[in-house]
Amino acid sequence: MSVLILLIGFSILIAGGFLLAFIWSVKRGQYDDDYTPSVRMLFDDKPVGEEDPSFKPKQK
Amino acid sequence: MQTLEKFQYDNKIVRNFAYATIIWGVVGMLVGLWVAMLMVFPQWNISGIGVGKETIGLSFGRLRPLHTNAVIFAFVGNGIFMGYYYSLQRLLKTRMASDMLSKIHFWGWQLIIVAAAITLPLGMTTGKEYAELEWPIDIAITIIWVIFGWNMFATILKRRERHLYVAIWFYIATFVTVAVLHLVNSFEYPVSFLHSYSWYAGVQDALVQWWYGHNAVAFFLTTPYLGLMYYFMPKAANRPVFSYKLSIIHFWALIFLYIWAGPHHLLYTSLPNWAQSLGIVFSFVLIFPSWGGMINGLLTLRGAWDKVREDVILKFMVVAVTAYGMATFEGPMLSLKSVNAISHFTDWTIAHVHVGGLGWNGMLTFGILYWVIPKIFKIELFSKRLANFHFWIATLGIIFYAVPMYWAGFQQASMWKQFTEAGQLKYQFIETVTYMKPFYAIRSFGGFLFVTGAIVMMYNLFMTVAKGKLVANEDAEAPALEKVVTQHHGEHWHRRIERRPIPFLIVTLIVILIGGIIELVPTFLIKSNVPTISSVKPYTPLELQGRDIYRREGCYTCHSQMVRPFRSETERYGEYSKAGEFVYDHPFQWGSKRTGPDLAREGTLNLKKTDTWHFNHMDDPQAISPGSIMPPYSFMLDKELDTASTPAKIKAMRAMGVPYAKGYEQIANRDLMNQATTIQNNLLNDSVRVKANTEIIAIIAYMQRLGTDIEKNKIAENKN
Amino acid sequence: MEGLLVKENQARKKVDLHCYHCGEACDASISSNEKYFCCDGCKFVYQLLQENGLCNYYELSDKPGIKVRGKFSSQRFVYLDNEEVKRKLSRFDDGQQTHVSFYLPQMHCASCIWLLENLHTIDHGVLFSKINFQRKEIFIVFDPSKISLRKVVELLAFLGYEPYISLKEGERKINRKISRQKIFKIGIAGFCFSNSMMLSFPEYFSSGNIREPELQLVFNYLNLALSLPVFFYCANEFFISAWKGLHQKWLNIDAPIALAILVTFLRSVYEIISDTGSGYFDSMSGIVFFMLIGRWFQDKTYDSFSFDRDYKSYFPLGVTFIRNEKEETGTINQLKKGDKILVRQNEMIPADALITKGEGNIDYSFVSGENTPLLKRKGELIYAGGKQLGASIEMEVVNTVEQSYITQLWNNDVFTQQKNKDKSFIHPWSRYFTLILFLIAACAAVYWALNDPSKILPAVTASLIVACPCSLLLSATFTFGNMLRHFGKNKFYLKNSSVIEALSQINTIVFDKTGTLTYSSRANVIYEGHLSPEEINMVYSLAKESVHPLSRIIRQELIIIHNFRPLPVNDLRETAGKGIGGLINGRRAKLGSRQFIEETDSIDNSTRTGEVYFSIDGVIKAVFKISNQYREGIATMISSLNQSKYQLKVLSGDNAAEKNKLESIFGKQSTILFHQSPQDKLDFIINYKKQSSKAGVLMLGDGLNDAGALMQADVGVAVSESSSQFTPACDAIIDSNEVQKLHNFILYARAGKKVITWSFILSILYNVVGLSFAVQGLLSPMIAAILMPLSSISIVTFVTVATSFLAKRRGL
Repeated sequence: MSVLILLIGFSILIAGGFLLAFIWSVKRGQYDDDYTPSVRMLFDDKPVGEEDPSFKPKQK
Repeated sequence: MQTLEKFQYDNKIVRNFAYATIIWGVVGMLVGLWVAMLMVFPQWNISGIGVGKETIGLSFGRLRPLHTNAVIFAFVGNGIFMGYYYSLQRLLKTRMASDMLSKIHFWGWQLIIVAAAITLPLGMTTGKEYAELEWPIDIAITIIWVIFGWNMFATILKRRERHLYVAIWFYIATFVTVAVLHLVNSFEYPVSFLHSYSWYAGVQDALVQWWYGHNAVAFFLTTPYLGLMYYFMPKAANRPVFSYKLSIIHFWALIFLYIWAGPHHLLYTSLPNWAQSLGIVFSFVLIFPSWGGMINGLLTLRGAWDKVREDVILKFMVVAVTAYGMATFEGPMLSLKSVNAISHFTDWTIAHVHVGGLGWNGMLTFGILYWVIPKIFKIELFSKRLANFHFWIATLGIIFYAVPMYWAGFQQASMWKQFTEAGQLKYQFIETVTYMKPFYAIRSFGGFLFVTGAIVMMYNLFMTVAKGKLVANEDAEAPALEKVVTQHHGEHWHRRIERRPIPFLIVTLIVILIGGIIELVPTFLIKSNVPTISSVKPYTPLELQGRDIYRREGCYTCHSQMVRPFRSETERYGEYSKAGEFVYDHPFQWGSKRTGPDLAREGTLNLKKTDTWHFNHMDDPQAISPGSIMPPYSFMLDKELDTASTPAKIKAMRAMGVPYAKGYEQIANRDLMNQATTIQNNLLNDSVRVKANTEIIAIIAYMQRLGTDIEKNKIAENKN
Repeated sequence: MEGLLVKENQARKKVDLHCYHCGEACDASISSNEKYFCCDGCKFVYQLLQENGLCNYYELSDKPGIKVRGKFSSQRFVYLDNEEVKRKLSRFDDGQQTHVSFYLPQMHCASCIWLLENLHTIDHGVLFSKINFQRKEIFIVFDPSKISLRKVVELLAFLGYEPYISLKEGERKINRKISRQKIFKIGIAGFCFSNSMMLSFPEYFSSGNIREPELQLVFNYLNLALSLPVFFYCANEFFISAWKGLHQKWLNIDAPIALAILVTFLRSVYEIISDTGSGYFDSMSGIVFFMLIGRWFQDKTYDSFSFDRDYKSYFPLGVTFIRNEKEETGTINQLKKGDKILVRQNEMIPADALITKGEGNIDYSFVSGENTPLLKRKGELIYAGGKQLGASIEMEVVNTVEQSYITQLWNNDVFTQQKNKDKSFIHPWSRYFTLILFLIAACAAVYWALNDPSKILPAVTASLIVACPCSLLLSATFTFGNMLRHFGKNKFYLKNSSVIEALSQINTIVFDKTGTLTYSSRANVIYEGHLSPEEINMVYSLAKESVHPLSRIIRQELIIIHNFRPLPVNDLRETAGKGIGGLINGRRAKLGSRQFIEETDSIDNSTRTGEVYFSIDGVIKAVFKISNQYREGIATMISSLNQSKYQLKVLSGDNAAEKNKLESIFGKQSTILFHQSPQDKLDFIINYKKQSSKAGVLMLGDGLNDAGALMQADVGVAVSESSSQFTPACDAIIDSNEVQKLHNFILYARAGKKVITWSFILSILYNVVGLSFAVQGLLSPMIAAILMPLSSISIVTFVTVATSFLAKRRGL
């Protein structure tokens, strides 16, 4: 089953790589704000003045 | 010095991928529909139209790989890229790093698909499910994939939004893992242009294959689509995702563990028990992160159901997420040994994957298409009514597909397992096949509905496009990022690295490491391929050729070669399979479906059939076993066997550790002809006249060899 | 005859007209392209946004705007031009760009985020702005050569998002660093745990013999590698706190935990190195992971609230000095005795001072909780914290800020001492636990010493491994964590989990009156005399022109009755704090204090008791009596508290006008005191606690005037009208609409304690099972690996379910 070593090796390697990515993202304060980005992504960055179709007026 | 920056989004690439998605989608589904029909009307199978040395086959065995490849890599693949290119630019507030790379990526990918569409019907296949494409195409895939990744990371580097939205993390995960999976699994030894053998043999090959197979599902059909869901669902509903925190947590949970999965596709096989159990636990653990995504998706729409009722796009998405939930719940269940004992090799699995495929991937892709196309063409959708029609007919299609398959699969399993009081197997295998036919018919109808829907969508979107005009370059503006201010001092190297996203470095690092390890693989793999059963010998040249025909015709798509340790199977097929029996199988041919009976012991005494039987059966299956749905392979009767390739094949095998004597390749064809003539004579005794150097002879030789090694062992034991 | 204009709690008729910007009920007098506004302020903001094509602001959410209060005076931010202030506020400045971040209490919806992140379109001097919604923080990068810090702040203030500026920044950043630390640890522990679990399974499934030895080796050493970060990084906080505890000669809960981790690690390392086993690394990483999550879960923080504001947060940063007839701006810290200062309309008096020029009309609601302004003449002393409603006045400082009447409170040592620290009842538990554990281990050792010495070490170590009190910790952390969330759901925000324990001890409750028992904004308006619709309209038209709080109340009441078209008022004259008058349809109408109406100089206290007179051509037509309105549900809550035998007290800074009303609610037996100065309130609680040692006192108050008492009480709860309102230092913040739930909150807190006790018992059971294996020296890694998550997870589920269920039962 020596191939398992290979597979586990890769698995750990990838997982480890993502662990680093995780550490990086926390370090860079990626998750200091875990709400606003979810709202921000709703806005389109249309040049100012252009009416933005992505906002449908709220029904009252 | 920064100010407000004006820039443009590249919508052309999005459009192209969208078109590709639609076209390949319809094609792939049509092929799917066709192969489904072939199981009802086997006489529609066309095989072996000669083109020079090769043959084109439109038989099930050759078309099913085409179907799976088309829907997975062409339809879903292009869908993924469409979503990526649309969302990535907007989430990062920047245009793609290089339009050139985007173009190369697009055309490269389409070329690969075309190549697949040509080679697969020609029977050029590695014989490993979902990785059938031959080595030159594998390399092409690698190159294009790297280009795609390069473009993506370069774009991340020049982003104007510091925070990487969760969707992007899913994209990154997809890129990295798929790259690794592809590299590891398509490690093969080329024999000729468009022909190669897998480096790994037997159990090892199986393990690698399903490590790949499962993770392909995980990282090609799941993570990218979760990413898309996290972008397009909030967009379409115009409300933020239910819990962004949850989305982050479940991403990291998923990525830290997911890559482990795989062995659960090999339960009750010759894989060591603990490895199987590991797979089970593992797949079970995965339900949590998976459901994290589903719950988050559905709750995003909570309190907006009125919106869902009127917005067809949201309808598609809701069904998609629900299907995802069902599939990811069913998956772990199927990986439980007790359930798997029933479901494995049956059509239950087929139902399972199609709930995921049609439901999750299909419906979400449709939803995204209906949303994106009008957006980039700055126009309303041509017809809401048609879209609604599509939604309903597609949903209906899924039901008509899944329900009968679940039911039939379950019945199929129980019929295989039933015994009479006398302790005899209750059903002949053929009876189970004929029982399935009506269900196959209904299933095809379901498929028909689904394809119809897709075609309606094609028309609907075509009309939309015709009315609108593409905004090839969409204006946008956003302030540039502020300067990075590092409060802590004396960490210059640290700061410098921080300026560019570390993940990029990591990824490159990983890729390099992988390259390195790959170099080492063969050496120790060969070491570990020492046969564990003395009587197991390499295939004779003729058998080897026969095996390649078996693989070319995609017999593994309907026939398993793995007798599981159940009484019902040992009774039907003989002694259960041992790991040691497969050490020379490059690639393994265990298969994953039993539309036809298992062939692992086809050559052994209790199943022994005469060469003539095989000859006639290949010529006209229905004539020999009435009710059979196997395609006829009469062309083999006079198709000449390509003996010229024998030496190369022997060499390749030896290179991979199969103990052929040195220089055996020179005399291999002599042995081949000897064995061939023996079979020819056997046939002649039953007054069947056929040339010795035909493919039929080779395939018969292989059939007769299957599973006999252990028997020799027994006979030997009995002797002394 | 006597007409009742608006009965208390009368169902209020909806008005069809609302301000397009802030959504407040308004009339049709102010409009801009078919949109109506309650005031010019709102209209101006709308126009600004409209000019800049930012009207999506109004599309994103319904009526997102923030009511513009009073006239906008940019004077208030002059001090931001002061270099020292600039330096303190800017995080980074290289001359090309300046980075600042502000706390914007008013931020409340998606529209806010969108608008505030598009500041650059309004003023190109702003280069970049990012919002952190949960912290209500904005991070702005601007080009100082194009726009000054002051202008940036003014822009924000004009849009309605006036930043809360404080010079003592930084503490926010620190705890951000801490929380990042936590996330690191959890992430890493989670990673190592999950993977080493996966690596251990083969061992378990193959019941200890994987046929390939080299695989076994790989698994073991990978496990070892994975355990290192857990042991040396993730778990360090347990070691540290255990060590600290031992230093102070007492055993906290972390001590036994640290010991368990240590033993587990050492034994596992030994097993692997000596190739005698595969160790307990998965279990070890597991408990560490779970406990870290528990800690994190318990530290639920409310980013947008601050529980430790002192008076400085209330006081203006900038002060306008008058030095040799010239106005200079400086910071409040520079204020000295004898300084001459200028206080403009709507500015706060920074320190006790005498009026030297002009007439003061001081709103003391901050200090005393009275909501009706007082008239102050030249030479009178005005206390710091008062707000000048009238025109600018000049003053002479008699006390420095620290020495001022209200701020003296903070010199009291209550403000320095830490509350409810290490009072937790978990620690004693863990002490017994450890004791017993050692006992058992010792017994096992002795037993094996007699029978089979080779088993001593395994048995002892095993018992230390398995009997880790992590389950004790988990039950506490998850119970409190979940309760904090349930409290939070009901708008009752606790500073930390220790408050829950304090809350469960409460038997005495002290109330502040104004703003706590009563609404601070709403009030009952009753009028005597009869007015024709037209005359009522005249009252409305006058009230509309005045900034005085009483007029505002009258206006709001009237607009609900009927939505008027205000009449044109000519020759308008307002005497700040007294009244307003003018010509309406040729008749002279006056609205204000009796003295103002009759033009006598007789000192009267009509405004004190909240009486407003209305006269036409000198004839008094009506008197509006404005009185406090008690919050809904208060009465019922009080009675339920009375029934459950709580000691109830009321301390009001206000006059005794409400005495009877209060007694009718609280009953005779409870103490009700009036004219209580902030110091009085503080002392009252100190003395009360002296008298009855077992008293657990909860103080419920709102204003700065309660600050001392809030700090002194075991649980100080600040009532807040809106999240944007400042609350004094306290242990908990309660939304004003939830005050009546107070009793349920206390009951819930008590129930929570029971839950913990039960889960402790549960976890003890697990330990018994584990130990029974351990002492026999039979603890295989597999058993540990099963027992550990089983106990942890079952306990966590138990407490979460239990607390959620109890919350439901208490109607929370």
